[in-house]
Amino acid sequence: MIGYSKMRIRWQYLLVWICLSPLAPTSGAADGSRVTQGLSVLYDFREESGQVIHDRSGVAPPLNLSIGNPDAVRWETDGLVIHRQTKIVSQRAATKIVAAVKRSGELTVEVWMQSKDLSQSGPARIVSLSGDATHRNFTLGQDRRKFDVRFRAAETSENGLPSTATPDNHVRKSLTHVLFTRNRAGETRIYIDGDQVVRKRNAGSLSNWDASFPLLLADEATGQRSWRGTLRLVAIYHRALTKAEVQKNFRVGAQADAAPQQASTRENWFARAAPILVEHCVECHDAPTRNGGLDLSHRTSALAGGDSGPSIQPGDPRDSFLMHTIESNDMPQNRPPLSAEEKEVLKQWIANGAHWGREYLDPVLYSHNAPAHQERWVQRLTAEEYVAAVQAAVGVDVSDVAGEILPADLRADGFSNTAYNLNVDLKHVEAYARLAEIAVQRMDVGQFAKRFDKSRKFTDKTMGKLIENMGRWILRGPIEAHEVIAYRGISTTVASAGGGYEEAVGLIVEAMLQSPKFIYRVENQRGDGTAWPVSDYELASRVSFIVWGSPPDQELFQAASDGALQQTAGLNRQLDRMLTDPRAAERARQFVSQWLNLDSLDNLRPNRERFPNWDPQLAQDMKRETLAFFEQVAWTEDRPIADLLVAQVTFATPELAKHYRLRAKPAPADARPTTTGGADLHSRLMRYDLQADPTRGGLLTQGSVLTIGGDNASMVTRGLFVLHDLLRGVVKDPPPCVDTTPVPTEPGLTQRMIANARIKNEACGGCHAKFEPLAFGLERFDGLGTYSEQDVHGNRLLDEGRVLFPGEADSVAYRSSAELMKLLAENQRVQESLTWKVTQFALGRPLTIEDATVIEKIHREAQANGGSYRSLLKEIIKSDLVQLTATEIDSASDAGFPKTTK
Amino acid sequence: MTEKRSLTRMSRRRLLGNGLRGVGAVAIGLPLLEEMMLSSAAAATADVPVRAFNIFFGLGIPAPLQNEGYEGVLEPLKPLADKLQILRGVDQVRCDESGINAHFDGASGAFTAEPPDGEARAGGPSIDQVIRRAHYPQGLPAGMVPTLVGGTFFRRSRVSRYVHSYNMDGTVAATMQEKPRDVFERVFGTVSRSGEKKDWIQQRLRRSVLDSVVDQYKHFSGRNSPLGATSRARVADHLERIREYEQRAYEMQARSEDAPPLPPRSKLLHGGVADPGGEGIDITLEQLTSEWRLMADLYALAIEMDRVRFGSLTFLAAGERIRLTGDYRYADRKVFEFDDARQHNASGSKGCSHEWWHQFNPKKDNVELRAHAHLKMREIGYFLQRLADTRESNGRSILENSLITISTESGDGRHNDVKRELSGVFHAITGANGRFKTGDILDVGAEGIDVYNTLLKGMDVDHRLGPQKRSPTTIDQLLV
Repeated sequence: MIGYSKMRIRWQYLLVWICLSPLAPTSGAADGSRVTQGLSVLYDFREESGQVIHDRSGVAPPLNLSIGNPDAVRWETDGLVIHRQTKIVSQRAATKIVAAVKRSGELTVEVWMQSKDLSQSGPARIVSLSGDATHRNFTLGQDRRKFDVRFRAAETSENGLPSTATPDNHVRKSLTHVLFTRNRAGETRIYIDGDQVVRKRNAGSLSNWDASFPLLLADEATGQRSWRGTLRLVAIYHRALTKAEVQKNFRVGAQADAAPQQASTRENWFARAAPILVEHCVECHDAPTRNGGLDLSHRTSALAGGDSGPSIQPGDPRDSFLMHTIESNDMPQNRPPLSAEEKEVLKQWIANGAHWGREYLDPVLYSHNAPAHQERWVQRLTAEEYVAAVQAAVGVDVSDVAGEILPADLRADGFSNTAYNLNVDLKHVEAYARLAEIAVQRMDVGQFAKRFDKSRKFTDKTMGKLIENMGRWILRGPIEAHEVIAYRGISTTVASAGGGYEEAVGLIVEAMLQSPKFIYRVENQRGDGTAWPVSDYELASRVSFIVWGSPPDQELFQAASDGALQQTAGLNRQLDRMLTDPRAAERARQFVSQWLNLDSLDNLRPNRERFPNWDPQLAQDMKRETLAFFEQVAWTEDRPIADLLVAQVTFATPELAKHYRLRAKPAPADARPTTTGGADLHSRLMRYDLQADPTRGGLLTQGSVLTIGGDNASMVTRGLFVLHDLLRGVVKDPPPCVDTTPVPTEPGLTQRMIANARIKNEACGGCHAKFEPLAFGLERFDGLGTYSEQDVHGNRLLDEGRVLFPGEADSVAYRSSAELMKLLAENQRVQESLTWKVTQFALGRPLTIEDATVIEKIHREAQANGGSYRSLLKEIIKSDLVQLTATEIDSASDAGFPKTTK
Repeated sequence: MTEKRSLTRMSRRRLLGNGLRGVGAVAIGLPLLEEMMLSSAAAATADVPVRAFNIFFGLGIPAPLQNEGYEGVLEPLKPLADKLQILRGVDQVRCDESGINAHFDGASGAFTAEPPDGEARAGGPSIDQVIRRAHYPQGLPAGMVPTLVGGTFFRRSRVSRYVHSYNMDGTVAATMQEKPRDVFERVFGTVSRSGEKKDWIQQRLRRSVLDSVVDQYKHFSGRNSPLGATSRARVADHLERIREYEQRAYEMQARSEDAPPLPPRSKLLHGGVADPGGEGIDITLEQLTSEWRLMADLYALAIEMDRVRFGSLTFLAAGERIRLTGDYRYADRKVFEFDDARQHNASGSKGCSHEWWHQFNPKKDNVELRAHAHLKMREIGYFLQRLADTRESNGRSILENSLITISTESGDGRHNDVKRELSGVFHAITGANGRFKTGDILDVGAEGIDVYNTLLKGMDVDHRLGPQKRSPTTIDQLLV
C-alpha cells in the first residue's frame, strides 16, 4: 500500500454548499446587487395583489406577513400603499430574527419608503418587532418629520427608551432610504439616503429580547399607532451593515431585484464538474504527465487543448473533443468509464461556458467528502484538554489518574483531536465520574466556593446564586435556569440528608465536571442556516482552546463578559498576552506531536539482527529532540514556521548524538539547553548547532521523521510523507496487482536504483515520479536516522534529486539534502501546507474546499506578519473559520433515525 | 418498544461449567452473574429480542471456491447448514474506491454497501446499527452494552479494515475491544466508584449527582439543545453510555461471593505494537485459535446473557498479514501444516498468508489458501455453534433468532481486476427468528446493497442503505 487519496466526491453537496454556504465570501455581494450577508428577512412588495407579503430573503423559515384589512392598502408595481389603518403582522413569531440578533448583538433595519403625512406621530410604527405599545425589541417609526428608533437592550426600558432619533426634516413624502444599525459595541446609527445623520449609544446585552413578538408593519400589535405611506422595501439583517454597505444598498436603489441571487449557474456547474475532472482525468492529464499533450489541471492549458487540438469548446459540448472521448468511453483509459450522471454534469458544465472557478484544479481540495456545514460535530475535549480544563476550572491537577483511566484519543485524518472521531465509550463515562470525584477530593471546596458567593447558606436564593456564578466559570459561560434547577437538586438532597454546605458544593462541582458543557465545547449550532457570529463566551473558548488547549483564564473570561473580544484591539490584546504564556508553548508541542505522530515512536522496534546497538530509549530521545527543536525554532525564536525545515540546530542526548554521529557533548546532571520548558522535555538534551554540518538540519533530518520509512528506509514512505504533509499532494494507491513488497538492497543495488526502476516503470512511474525523488535527499540516512555515505553493502549513497511541486509541470533539481530542505522551505506550496496543518489542528476537523478561500487569506496575512506559528494562530483566530459558526435550520430532532414499519 | 427479555433461564452451574468451554481449563469470571440471571429470568417472555451482528473475516473466500459448497472450505459450517443461508454471487463493486484495493474499500463495504468515507469512517451505517436504531429508538434497556465491537487482528492502518459496525453517520459505532479482557470488562465489569462510603446516604447523594448529569445530557441531546443534529446524536450516544454506567454503578451492586477471576491476559501483542510496520507477525496456530476462542466465548456469552444485542466480531483484519505455523486438524484428520514463510520461501510481508490470496489461481489447488480459509470457517463455526447451543423461550436457538451476517472483503484476492475482486463476495446469514430462509446455498446474483436492504426490509426497518434515489431491488429468495 503506498498511498491514499480520498477521491470520491459528492458533488451534490458542493452544489448545496455553493448555494447555502454561510462561510462563502458573499458578504460583499457582486456589484449592482444588494448586500446579502446576515440577511434575516426581506420584503420587496412585488406581489401586486393578495393579502400576503412574502419574505424573499431565502433564509428559512420564511416569515411572511398578512395584511389585516386589504381595503386599507393598494398594490403598486413595486410597492404597497397603506392609505388607512391596518395591521400587517407576521404569520408566526419572528423567532428567526430574535434568535439571530440576540446572538450577534447586532441589527440593521432598512426601509425604502414614502410618508403620506408628515404630521404622523406616536411615533407611527413603520416597522416594529413588539408585543404592544410598551413592550418591544425594536421599532422604527415616524415622529412627524423625524425618524425615531426604539431599540431594547440591557440599558433601556422594555419600551426601548431612550430612543435614537434623527434631527427634524428627514422624513419626506418622496422616496427615502432610511437605515438603522446597532453594532455589538452598542453604537446606534441612522442613515438617510446613505449618509449617517445620527449616532448614539445603546449598550448592553440583548438577552431580554422577547422571542414571542411578531414582526409588524404600519401599526403596533395592539393598534393605535398606525402609519400611512408607501413601502417599497423592508430588510432586516442580524448584523450592523458598514457604512460602505449602507451606501451600496442605497446606490442599488429600491427598484433593483432585491432577492438574493444564488451562486451563478456557471459557478454551480464548475463546482460539480471539478471533482469529476479530478477523479477521472487529471491523474493522466495534469501538468507533469500531460498525456496527449493535454493538461486538464489548469484552466489555461485545459482550454488551450492538447495534441488533438482544443479539447473543450466552451458553450458547445457537441464540438468538444473531451466530451466525445468520454461519451464513447475511450476515456479514461484503463479505468472505469464515467457514469451517465457524471457525463451529463460535464456536458452541462461545457454547455454553460466551461467556467473555471480556480486556475489550478488542486486535487487535495477535493479529497474530503462531507462539507463542514453538513456535519457540525460538537468537539469533545481530548484527554489533554480535559486535564487542562479541570486544572483551569478548579485548580487541581488530575493528570496522574487521568493518564491511567481516561482512554487515549485515536488519530483520524492526521490528528487526534478530530471531532468526528472523538466518541465516548463506557470507560470515558467511568473515568469522568471518577476524575470529578478525585478533583473535588483534592480541592479546598470552601475556599473555592468563596470566590462565587460568601454566604454559605442552603437557601434557594443564595445557593442559586452560587450555582449560577460557579457554573458560569466551570462551564465556560452563563448557565440557564434549568441548569441551576438541576444542580440545586443536589444541594437539596444533601440538605435533606443532613449534609453540610461544603459537601453540597463539592457534589455540585462533581456534577458540573461531568456536564456536557464541560466535557464538550458546546456551542449554538442552530439558526437559520447562515453563518452567525460566535457569542462572546464561545469566542473566548475557541480562542483559548486553540492557543492553550485549555479553557479561558479569568482575564480572557472577563474580556468575553465585557464584549471586548469583539473589538479588534481587545482581541489582539488577549492574543498577545496568551501567546507568551507557557500554555501556548505546550499547545504548540501538542500540535507537532500529533502532526508528526511522535507517539508512534513508542512502538519503534527495529530488527535486532540488523540494528544490534539500538536502545529503545533513543526513540524517546528522538521524540524529545523534535519537540525541543520545534519549541526553539517556532516558539522561542518565533521564526517563520517553514524554517522548521532548514533550521541548523538540534537537541540531542549524548546517546542520540552518538547515534547521529555528531560529536557528543556530555550532559551534566543539571544540564539544560537554552530553551525554556519542562524538565522532562529537556532533561539531558543538549543543543547542537549544525551550521558547520551540511548533512543534517531541519525536521526531515531528525530521527522522529526518518524512522517512518522503517528498517529499510523506504523511499516510498518517506517520499509520501513529504508529498502529503508538506506538499499537499495526492496520489492514488498502487495500480491493481502491483507487488508492493519492499525490494531489498544488495551489492550494486541501492534504494535509489530500486526507486528509479519504479519511476521508469510505465505502470508505476506516473505516481512514483511525484514522490520518490522527494526522498532521494534523505538516502544517506538509514532506517534509524544514522548518516552514512555507504549502505551496508558498501554501495555509495547520494543525496541529490528533483522535486516536483504539485501544480507545476517541471521538477526542480537539488544537489544535496541541504538544498532540498531550502527548496522546500522557500516554496509557497510548502508554506501553505504548513498553514493548512496548523489550521486543521486549530479547528479539530479536516479542511475541505469550502475552507480554501479563507485559508488562503489566513496564509497571506500570516506571511505578511512574519509567517511564524504565532502569527498564523492570530490570523486563524481572526478569520471567519473561528469568528463565525455555521448554523443549521431547526428541524425535528432525531432526524436521521430510521423507523420501523411496525 | 417495550423491552422484553426472553433468555431462557440457564443454570449458573451450566454457565460457569460450559460458558467458556473453548478456553479449556481457563476459568472465566462472571462477577455480575447472579443479578443478571435473576433479571433475565424475571423478565422472560415468549418474545425474543431483535439482535443483529456482523461477523467479518479477513481476505475472503475466492468465488470459485464458494462453488464447492460445504464440500470445500465451507466444510466447518456444514453442521450448521440448516441454520444458515449461504449467498453466492454478491457483488460489492459499488464500494470500489478508485485506486484503492479491496482490503480497504471492500472491507468498508462489508455490511454497509458503501465505499469508505475517509480514514476512520465508513460511507454509511452498517446494517446492525440501522436495525438497532429502528428497533430501539430510545436506546437499549438500561445497563445493556449498546453495541459491542470486538475482534482479533493485528494490522490496523485504516479503521474499516477491522471495525465492522458503523453509526448512521458512518462513524464507528463503538470502541474496538481487541483484548479478551477488554471484552470481558466492557460486558461484565462493574464500574469503580472508590472512595465512597457504602451507606445509603452516600448512595443517595451520589445518585443525585448522576441524576443531574443525566438531566444535562438529556437537555443537550433533546429538542431544545443548541446543538445541531449531528452533535445531538453524539451527545445522545454519550447519554446512552451514562445510562449503562448508572445501571452498573447503582443497580448491580451485589457481587457473587465466589465470583471467578478475570479471563487470562492475552499472550499476544495488541494495539500499536502488534504490527507497527504492517509487515506481518509470526504466530502459531495454537496462539491464534486460543485467542479467537476466548473472544468467541466471551462474545457469545455476552449474547447468551442478553448483555449485547448488536455489534460486530472480527476474525483478522482485511488484508491481515500473519505468518502462521502449526498443524491444523479438523474432524480428527490433519488438514494442513501451516508454515507460511517457509512455504513462500520468503520473509517479511512476502512470507505472509496474505500472499496466497494474491497468488490465487482457479486452475490450481490453492491448498494453502484453502487451509487458511477452512481454518477461519472452523473458528466462525465455533462461535456460531455457541449460539446454536442456547435455546430461547420460542424454542429456537439464539443463532436462529438473531440476524447474523457473515462477510468479508473480497471475492477474489487478486487486485488486478476491480470487478472480479469485488464480485462474488462471500455472504451468509441466519434466519432472524423466521424472517429469512435458511438451509440453502443461493446464487443470488445481486448487489450487496440489495441484499442488505432486503435484510432491513425483512427486519421491518424502513431505512434503506445507499443513494436515496436508487430503486432498491428486493431479493425475494431471502425472505420467508
